[in-house]
Amino acid sequence: MSSADIDKDLLAATLAFSLASGGDFAEVYVEDRTSLNLRLEDNKVEQVSGGHELGAGVRLTSGDRTYYAYTDDVGEAGLREAAKAVAAALRGAAAGGVQPLGGERRNPGAHPVRIAPESVAIEVKSDLLRAANEAARGHSSSIVQVTTGYSEGRQHVLIANSLGDLVRDERLRLRFVVQAIARREGVIQTGFETLGASAGFEILDEATVIDLALGAAGQAVTMLDSRPAPVGVMPVVMANGFGGTLFHEACGHGLEADAIAKGASIYTGKLGTVVAAPIVSAYDDGSVANGWGSQAFDDEGVPTQKTMVIKDGRLTSYLYDRLRARAAGAQPTGNGRRQSFRYVPIPRMTTTYIAPGDVSPDDVIAATKRGFYAKSLAGGQVEPASGNFVFGVAEGYLIENGRITAPLRGATLIGNGIDILTRIDMIANDFDIKSGVCGKDGQGVPVGTGQATLRIGEMTVGGTG
Amino acid sequence: MFDVVDKTLELALAGGAEGAEVYAERSTSRRIRVYHQQVEELVAARRKGLGLRVFQHGAVGYAYTSDTSAEALDEVVARALAHAKVSDHDEFAVLPEKAAGYPALELFDADLAATDDGAKIELALAVERAALEADTRVKLVEDTSYADGDGEVFLVNSKGVRGSFRANDCYTFAYALAEQNGQIETGLSYAVGRNLAELDAQACGREAALRACALLGSRKVPSMKATVVLDPYSAASVIAVISAALTADAVQRGRSLFASLEGKQVAGERFSLTDNGLHPNGFSSAPFDGEGVPCQRTPLIAAGVLQGFLYDTYTAARGGRRSTGNGLRGSYTGGPAVRPTNLIVGGPATPVADLIGSIERGVLVTNLIGVHSGANPISGEFSVGINGILIESGRLTTPVREVTLAGDIITMLTNVVALGDDARWVPSGSILTPSLVVEGMSISGE
Repeated sequence: MSSADIDKDLLAATLAFSLASGGDFAEVYVEDRTSLNLRLEDNKVEQVSGGHELGAGVRLTSGDRTYYAYTDDVGEAGLREAAKAVAAALRGAAAGGVQPLGGERRNPGAHPVRIAPESVAIEVKSDLLRAANEAARGHSSSIVQVTTGYSEGRQHVLIANSLGDLVRDERLRLRFVVQAIARREGVIQTGFETLGASAGFEILDEATVIDLALGAAGQAVTMLDSRPAPVGVMPVVMANGFGGTLFHEACGHGLEADAIAKGASIYTGKLGTVVAAPIVSAYDDGSVANGWGSQAFDDEGVPTQKTMVIKDGRLTSYLYDRLRARAAGAQPTGNGRRQSFRYVPIPRMTTTYIAPGDVSPDDVIAATKRGFYAKSLAGGQVEPASGNFVFGVAEGYLIENGRITAPLRGATLIGNGIDILTRIDMIANDFDIKSGVCGKDGQGVPVGTGQATLRIGEMTVGGTG
Repeated sequence: MFDVVDKTLELALAGGAEGAEVYAERSTSRRIRVYHQQVEELVAARRKGLGLRVFQHGAVGYAYTSDTSAEALDEVVARALAHAKVSDHDEFAVLPEKAAGYPALELFDADLAATDDGAKIELALAVERAALEADTRVKLVEDTSYADGDGEVFLVNSKGVRGSFRANDCYTFAYALAEQNGQIETGLSYAVGRNLAELDAQACGREAALRACALLGSRKVPSMKATVVLDPYSAASVIAVISAALTADAVQRGRSLFASLEGKQVAGERFSLTDNGLHPNGFSSAPFDGEGVPCQRTPLIAAGVLQGFLYDTYTAARGGRRSTGNGLRGSYTGGPAVRPTNLIVGGPATPVADLIGSIERGVLVTNLIGVHSGANPISGEFSVGINGILIESGRLTTPVREVTLAGDIITMLTNVVALGDDARWVPSGSILTPSLVVEGMSISGE
C-alpha cells in the first residue's frame, strides 16, 4: 500500500468525521517514505539499512487548541479511528464546517531531479563511501579513523484540509557526510564535511566526495597543531557557509511564530524596529532550487516562499505556520514543518541566511588587527526567551595584523541575539549555504544555513587558553 | 505480533539468509500540553513496525517497515538481503545465543494503562498552576507537558532467542519564564514515574519556577578558577557525554577518550558510575536488550577507577568479552548499537547545604548550554556556556550568565571531590545523579 492508494472520498470523510463534534480546522497528512543509508567505518561498509514507513496524522484545531492522532494504518479503519480520537476531545459542540476538496495541487518542477537514486546500483553508492575513505586516509598518516555516510530519502505526502486544500508533494533528499579523526602524540582532533540537497544522484560523483573527504581530513590534521583558544572579548570573523548557524541560532529561532505568540522570544513586539546593524538584510527561503532545506510545499500544504525577515537592520516578518498566522491575522509563510506524520507541524526555518555584501573575504580579514576567525562551527544552542546563545567552534584561528595565523581549539562563542546582530560591521561577497539538521521540540528537520564571511565587532570567546 | 515476527524470520531464512533476527514493536502514547490553564495540544498515537537483520557470508543487512502486510514482509526481506550483499564481510558480526532465562521485572503498571485523559489533563494543569503560583515574577510557563508511553517489544532470532515484554511510564515537564526589570530567565523541571500517583505536580511546577527566578538579575562575572557545583540537571548532561565514550564501540573505533584507561584512576575516589538495565525505577530497564541478551548491572567507574566498558554482541566478539546487554535500539528502524541503559552515579553523600557552605568562592551551575556541540567525547575537551549562581563565603549570591566553563573531561572527573544528597532522575538519557562538586574549574567571563 502507498499514499497513492488513498482516494479523495476517504480524505473528505476523515475530515468530516474529525469535525463531527466541533472545531474550526481539520487536516489529514499522509506520508509514505522510503530511505536508504550506507555507512563505512574502520575501512568497512557495515551499516546498510533502509526501509519503508507509511502513516497518517489527523489534526483538529479549535481556537488555540490542537488535537492530533497518528496511525500506521492508512486504510479506512485506521483513519476513522484517528479521526474519532481527535473528535472525542471536543465532545458536545456543533459540527465544524468542511469545504469540499478542490483540485489536487502539486509542483513537480520545483526541485528538478535528473538521476533518480533508486536507478543507481547500491554498489555505486558503496564505492563512493570507499573512495572518500581512501582519500581521507591518504591525506595524512595522522588520520586514524574515517566514517563516511550516504543517505537518500524519498517522501511522498498527501495533505487535505477542511479549507478545501488538497496537495500532493514529493521530496527527494540526498546527503553525504565525512568525519575524520586525526591523532598525534595523544592529541586527538576531528574534522567534518557534508553535502546535502533536494536533488538526485547527479550531485554526487567521485571527485565531489573526495573533495569532502580532503576537507574533513584537512580540518582534523590542521587542528592537531592548534593551541587552546584565548579567552576574552574580541572581533570575530565568521566564515561563509557554516557561519550561517550564527543567524540560525541568534535570530532565526526567535522569529518562529510559536515563540512570538507566547511572548517567549526577545523579538516579540519588535516588528519594524532595529534588531541588527543597517548593513544586515536576511531571509528565510524554503524555495531555494534544490536546497537541502527546500520543498515545494510545507507540511501543511502551503507553498514555500522567500520571506524577508530583516531589511537594512529592521525586523520585517516572523515565520508562520497556519495556526499562528491565523491567530496573528497574518499570512502563513510556508514554515509549518514536521519531522514525520508522527508529529504536529510547528513553525520552523527552511534555508535561512544573511544576504551577502560587496567586499572580499580577504578585505574582512585584512581589516582585523587582532581577532578570532571561526572557519567551521560544531553547532549551537539558543534560548529564544532570553536570546542567549552558545556555539562550539570546530575549526578556529587567530587573526593577527590582518592575517590568519595559528589554529585554535576548544573555542566557544557566546552572546545575545540582538546584541550580536547589531555588532555586525562587515559582510563579504562569498555567499554559500550548508546543510544541517535542526532540532526543536524533539523534531529534527533538514535546514540550510547560509551567509558570506562577516565580522562581528565584539564577541565573547570562551576558551581554555 | 509474534505471528508477523515468526513469518518474517521464516521468509528471511527461506530467502537464503544464513542467520536472521526480527525485532518488532507496538506502542501507544499520549502527550498533553497545557497553556494558560487550557489544553493546548493533545496527541494520541499508535505505532508499530518491525526491523529485520540478516547475516549472509559474514555480512549484515538491515531493513524495516511500518507496514506488516504480506507484500510488505516480502519487500523487507528482499531489501535486507540486498543490503547484506553490499556490506563487507565482518567476522565479528554474529547473533547472540539463546539465553538461559531473562530476569523478571515489573515494568508494566495497570493503573497507568487504565488512566483516562481527564486525569492526565488535570495533572498537567496542576503543574502549570504550581509554577505560576510559586513566585510573582513567573511571567508564563511556555511549555507544560504530560506524556506517557505503553510499548511492547517482540524479538526472535534464528538461534532460538524468543522474547517479549511490555513496559509503560509517564512524566511531566515544565519550562517556566520569569521576568524582572526586562530580563527574562528560564527554568525547567521534570518528574518521572510508572503511574500518575508517582508524579508530584506541585514539586515539578514549583521547581521550574524557582529555577527560573533564581537566575533573575544575572550578569557576567570576571574570569576565574573556582570550585563548581554541578546540580543534578547539569551533572546529567556531563554524564551523558562521558557515557558515549564508555561504550566498547567508541573504544574499538578510536573514538573514546577512555580507550587506554581501563583499571586506571579517571575520577575522584568518591565517584562511582554504574550502568543498570535492571533498576526498578529506570526508564530504560528491560529483561533483555535489542538483540535478546539479558540486561544486567555493569560497574563502569568504581571509587574513581575505570572498571570497563559497555558491550553488545558485536563489540564483545571483537573484544573477546561478554556482551553486557547494551545492544539497544532507538526504534525498529535501526539495528542494535552500544548504548547505556540507566546510568547511576553513586558515592558517599553530603547534604548540599553543607557542600555550598564549605565553598569560599565558586559557582553553582544550574544549566549547561551547548553541550552537544561544545563537549567532545573523542578528545575529551569541552567548552560550554553556563547559567548558575555565584558562591561567596559559603553563600549563594549573584546569578551568573554569558560565561563559559572549559577544560578536559578527565581532569574534571578527577577533580570531583564530593557528591550531594540530592540524587534524582533526569529523563534525557535516564540518569540518576546527585550534585557533583568539582574543584579547579576554569570559568571565562569578563
